Amino acid sequence: MAATAAAVVTRPIAPEQASLWSDAWRRLRRNRLALAGVIYLTFVVIVALVSAVWTPYPTFQVGVGIPYAAPNTHHLLGVDGLGRDTLSRLMAGAQISLIVGIGTQILVLAVGVPIGLAAGYFRGAFDQVVTFLINLFYGIPDLLVALILVFLLGPSLTNIIIAIAVTRWMDMARLVRGQTLSLREREFIEAARAAGAKPAKILFGHILPNALGPIIVQATFGVPAAILFEAFLSFLGLGVPPPTPTWGGMAAEGIVTIRISPAMVIAPSIALSLTLMAFNFLGDGLRDALDPRGRR
Amino acid sequence: MTRSTRADAAKRLPAPILQVKDLQTQFLTHDGIVKAVDGVTFDLYPGESLGIVGESGSGKSMTALSLLRLVPDPGKIVGGKVLFRDQDLMQISDEEIRDIRGRDIAMIFQDPQSSLNPVLQTGFQIAEAMLAHKKATKQQARQRTVELLKRVRIPAAESRVKDYPHQLSGGMRQRAMIAMGLANAPSILIADEPTTALDVTVQAQILELLADLNQELGTAIMMITHNMGVVAGLCTRVLVMYAGQIVEQGPVDQIFENPQHPYTWSLLKSIPRVDALRHERLRSIEGLAPDLLRPPKGCRFHPRCPFRVEKCLTDLPPLTEVKPDQLAACWVTMDRAKKEMGADHLLDIRPGAASGLEPGKIIP
Repeated sequence: MAATAAAVVTRPIAPEQASLWSDAWRRLRRNRLALAGVIYLTFVVIVALVSAVWTPYPTFQVGVGIPYAAPNTHHLLGVDGLGRDTLSRLMAGAQISLIVGIGTQILVLAVGVPIGLAAGYFRGAFDQVVTFLINLFYGIPDLLVALILVFLLGPSLTNIIIAIAVTRWMDMARLVRGQTLSLREREFIEAARAAGAKPAKILFGHILPNALGPIIVQATFGVPAAILFEAFLSFLGLGVPPPTPTWGGMAAEGIVTIRISPAMVIAPSIALSLTLMAFNFLGDGLRDALDPRGRR
Repeated sequence: MTRSTRADAAKRLPAPILQVKDLQTQFLTHDGIVKAVDGVTFDLYPGESLGIVGESGSGKSMTALSLLRLVPDPGKIVGGKVLFRDQDLMQISDEEIRDIRGRDIAMIFQDPQSSLNPVLQTGFQIAEAMLAHKKATKQQARQRTVELLKRVRIPAAESRVKDYPHQLSGGMRQRAMIAMGLANAPSILIADEPTTALDVTVQAQILELLADLNQELGTAIMMITHNMGVVAGLCTRVLVMYAGQIVEQGPVDQIFENPQHPYTWSLLKSIPRVDALRHERLRSIEGLAPDLLRPPKGCRFHPRCPFRVEKCLTDLPPLTEVKPDQLAACWVTMDRAKKEMGADHLLDIRPGAASGLEPGKIIP
């Protein structure tokens, strides 16, 4: 009787089943910049998908228009020096940017998270080796590492992703290690150990879910960094080899003739900038949404 | 009590489920070795509820953590045996001790707020305790979780299963922790100050729940607390710890009635009583708990003891039987202190006051 009475009283007062994630999503939607970022990125993803099956002109075909032609009704963003349609190439370039950005972060997560978890939880010699490696990689300039790797492995999409991931995994490993170091001292980890949980269960079942917020934010900021780095490599001529269209490569081709046909540089630059900005807005929004202290 | 009835009583006692022998846990710090647990020996019998009392830093929590080899980092178990089901828990492999944790010996912690994982559903965490030991299928675990929550009297258990810890009250969280502890029907439940973080009325409910579970399920409970009231309410036997050692042990009634170690005596004297006379002052124990980096020579309690004699300054008293079933580690014991030093009428409780061995008069 007492139990049912208590049930009647407590149930309606208790908040809706608000998990951390639905709560975060609610707060993210209220952030206009983040929402704009999400909408723009959805658009970019759709463009990238569409470009795989359809573009106004074939991406690789030269001579579809007059070389260096300015934007006109047939070629909305003009034509490049080889007579290829810039809009078509811009659309296809979105694929490369997204694949590089997301692929790199998947690699970074796959490497950084387990290493960070293990180093923070087990500490000792393994942690010392990991910390040393992190510091070592921070010490060497990113560009040098990437250049050497691309040079050794040869320029291809996969190798570019690997090369960028090699220069980026430390951020994630260091973040996760730090989170783990503080979480491992929490009482619920001791309670889990006292309940007989195995180390793998503690790492991935208890510590990781608690560190997921910062990890997601870090990964979201990592995507535009990787995209920019790829564009930079392409601009230097060390990115995904031509004729595959990449935004960095397109800007590099256009820069020489910027006075004749500025659209060749401006179009990929704006596409790149907007994408980077959208990811950063999304990252900012996620950081606010996933931070329990900033709960409004 | 004559010899033959004593022997009969011994026969009636079942074999101990857990035997701790000369357990030693030390912390290696920059300043030296801290002996947090220093030669602790005791037995735990099936189905009993044993209280371990002592001040902060007396080694009671470390004793409990040592049993499951959960001592935090600079700490090391350097000696002793813990016999459970014919195996020494200190010698078995990491995998074997992991199987015992939570399955045979479960533990619940002080602060239910922080001992539940905030991002996981409460019911999921309880079910997980069963799945970790492959005690049940997912389906069974889910069903049994609801049963357990009902058993620890959480109202509307069916819907509470999906709640996150922040949606539960402090008392309910501790109930959930107890449910998790009981998930695999362990033979021993170690409760490390389970009521400290709760308010008084909820404390009483939790203690009542533990007492009922002890009766109904026959789970042996090891209750770690600094609260004599908790011991009086729940336990049948009690160990009193001081500076990493057991100074007195025995049946709760007997020890409350007639403590033999001056420390136990002082502890009991320092409990506020509702029926105290107006002019009676509440007594605290003079001095501070010893620095375990440099424990005092002789009896560890002698710097604070009103009844100390010369021998206490130099020789560590062994834990010996002073009354039937009651052991105390003291050269003087309270019987003698009462007879010879007038302990019952003592007003001045400064160290050495009753025995005349006051601080200024100590001859090194």
